[in-house]
Amino acid sequence: MSAIHPSELSFITRHAPFDRMELAHVMWMMERMFLGYYAEGEVIVTPEQGPVDRFLVIKQGVVHGEQNVAKASEADTWLELGEGECFPLGALLANRRVASVYRAGSDTFCYELPAAEFRELIGMSSAFRDFCTRRIANLLEHSKQVIQAQFSHSSVEQQSLASPLSAIIRREPVTCAPETSVRKVLGVMREQRIGSMVAVDMNSRPLGIMTLHDVLDRIAIPQFDLEQPVIKVMSTQLSSLPPQALAHEAALTMARHGFRHVLVVENERLVGLVSEKDLFALQRVGLRQIGSTIRHAETPEVLQQAAADIRRMAHNMMAQGVAPEQLTQFISTFNDLLTVRVVELELAASGLLGTPLHDRLCWMALGSEGRFEQTLNTDQDNAIIFETPPGMTPDQVREKLLPAARRINETLALCGFPLCKGEIMACNPKWCLSLEEWKRAFSAWIDGGSPESLLHASIFFDFRALYGTEHLAEELRQWLSQYARSNARFLRQMAANALRNRPPLGLVRDFVLNDENRLDLKLNGLAPFVDAARIFSLAAGVPQTGTLQRLRLSAPALHIPAAEVEAWINALLFIQLLRLRHHFEVSDRQGGEKAQPLDNLIDPGQLNELDRRILKEAFRQARKAQAKLALDYQL
Amino acid sequence: MKKLLQRWFSPKPSLRPHQAARLAAWQALPAAPQPATVEHSRFVVVDVETTGLNLMTDTLISIGAVAVVNGRIALGDSFYVVLQQREISRKENILIHGISSSAQREGDDPAEALLAFLEYLGKSPLVAFHVTFDETMIRRALRQYLGLSFKHPWLDLAYVMPALYPTLAYSHRVLDDWIGRFNIRIEVRHNALADALATAQLLQVAHSRARAKDITDFAGLRDLERSQRWANGVS
Repeated sequence: MSAIHPSELSFITRHAPFDRMELAHVMWMMERMFLGYYAEGEVIVTPEQGPVDRFLVIKQGVVHGEQNVAKASEADTWLELGEGECFPLGALLANRRVASVYRAGSDTFCYELPAAEFRELIGMSSAFRDFCTRRIANLLEHSKQVIQAQFSHSSVEQQSLASPLSAIIRREPVTCAPETSVRKVLGVMREQRIGSMVAVDMNSRPLGIMTLHDVLDRIAIPQFDLEQPVIKVMSTQLSSLPPQALAHEAALTMARHGFRHVLVVENERLVGLVSEKDLFALQRVGLRQIGSTIRHAETPEVLQQAAADIRRMAHNMMAQGVAPEQLTQFISTFNDLLTVRVVELELAASGLLGTPLHDRLCWMALGSEGRFEQTLNTDQDNAIIFETPPGMTPDQVREKLLPAARRINETLALCGFPLCKGEIMACNPKWCLSLEEWKRAFSAWIDGGSPESLLHASIFFDFRALYGTEHLAEELRQWLSQYARSNARFLRQMAANALRNRPPLGLVRDFVLNDENRLDLKLNGLAPFVDAARIFSLAAGVPQTGTLQRLRLSAPALHIPAAEVEAWINALLFIQLLRLRHHFEVSDRQGGEKAQPLDNLIDPGQLNELDRRILKEAFRQARKAQAKLALDYQL
Repeated sequence: MKKLLQRWFSPKPSLRPHQAARLAAWQALPAAPQPATVEHSRFVVVDVETTGLNLMTDTLISIGAVAVVNGRIALGDSFYVVLQQREISRKENILIHGISSSAQREGDDPAEALLAFLEYLGKSPLVAFHVTFDETMIRRALRQYLGLSFKHPWLDLAYVMPALYPTLAYSHRVLDDWIGRFNIRIEVRHNALADALATAQLLQVAHSRARAKDITDFAGLRDLERSQRWANGVS
């Protein structure tokens, strides 16, 4: 027997989406709801609680969403929800943790529906379903947040804040007896350059702590007698954790109590001290440091280590919510740095440094590396372009360059970039060519139009200079731009070829899968955009090789509305994000060993509802881009 | 006066066999486990509407109740009943509780209504604001219609709240003062169900405050109530 007072019903039905729902569904929901109370400042939902367990509607009060658990304070409020508003929809739909801490901004009452019933209601009421999915105005935005939340748990905390305190303690704690004079303690602190001092008894049991922050308030301003025992000015409210406790527990303890230090105590004995600074150091990834390590590396081993660092850092950046565009840029930047250093070292080792040849060659990145779209598993695609020195033939040049090129390819493979199965590498004599030879190769592909030519065009058109005499690559680019643009038949063939790869949306707008019920994110998802962008850029004479840049810069010339291009780009980035996440998850499972090659195959059944919807939308966008191609080339 | 005497000396009500069985089943229920923390228990917050404010002569019209389960108000676990009246309450009173004379006549048979209330209640502790009134009205109705001597644990928020908020004790006396203080909105005052809901929200506030003082169970809240009663007695 239950009775819902009409006033409760009238409150709920004043707010969206309940105002549009069938009364029977609203009643069904109300009967299953709880009313919870949260005092001002109380946490309502937090990432630590795991996947969200309930849907909340604010009956009265204000709820704040805060971005970061560790830094949660009033200043970080980024979201304010009021009466009648629902949360946290994105995380609930995705069955994940929330990305933010939701906290009561004033005394707050919330109607709460358990997650299982929330899902049942979604199935039951189309008005409710529409609201929940559409309210996430920018689906992508939310998915990003959720993924960030997920990764911030699997990486930042697991890799750094999940280390036990015993691993973080840097040195023996500096201690004193409680009756030591304040003057003496301050002297020791200055001498040893330490920020805190713990007083312990005969059995090393901690009694009190004094930090530099206390000096002002407790000693200097009250003009405390420096000859008095230090214990009198010490804080005796100590927070301690055992050495097995994890760093994030220490971080939370500090956040909770506002302490800057946590004592590490084992069997009542003080064994160490962890400061706020120690914990911050764990999270700070040394971008600058890795860069400088690479630039100054003298051996391939150092570079291998750096490659591992890049991967770990990419993982952390994903966790910290770096967008996929910046993330792939970051990966490309560091991979470029790394490749350049490998080329440099191996050219030197081959004795080519300082020879006339060295000033006439350019190492080029092709394919996805050329498009700045590298992920963690990208195969090497590279080539050499050179200028034949006077008195030499191209074959003589190749004879000298190829052994060095092979060493470079092999070292890159050791650094985690697998050798190209199609042999599209600088050590292949077919792809170590002079400028004239490259022009001949390109014109053969453009004039030929065989399937193989089109395949090569798609890889080689995305070249960019990485190392050496860049003007060679620039000259080739300029020539190619002119040549391809004037060859309408070739562009049309490229377009027809690109259209053969249809995004796998079925008739009922669900996915069409391969034999193993998998979707290939790269082939089915990214390739349609990448191919379209290449053709657009060739048609518009845009020299850039990055797909995003190609799309953005070609759009005006081809009269594609900016909003449409941005929608394509968002779709592309989302697919890229899923792909990166997939790679991280797989490499996590492999425990950091990069023995297994990473694939791009995902099972859409494993995706949550939200991601599935966005992925479908992304595929629809890919079809739109293809429709534009079909229109332009009358296909 | 005659009416009053009639009620006092009326014969024990005769319940139909299945009603007697239902009553016996309720009586046989085990008592609520003690001590139970608020996070692991069910409280029933109750409010009644009556024909008037006289504890001796007025009678019960309706009972509204909501359950607070594990600290949260379970909207589906709520109860409301209007008891069929032998005599319709005075017009000025109808204006307060809003239950029209026709609704009063159409109410449920009192014995059935009260049995349903007991079955809803189970052995969960009861909570009200100014318990004396609600308790007296319910107890009298249970004796009159079911012949039950109703002894049940009650918690009185009218004492718990001032005990938890001593600085507000003098300025906050009636339910409206407290719910106003905590911005608990109540759309229809003097409806037993709506008042019970507001009171339940007040219990949540009280519980949250008490938790900060390490009071987490019914017994602890009862102690607060007792000490406040004592304090009121001496001051």
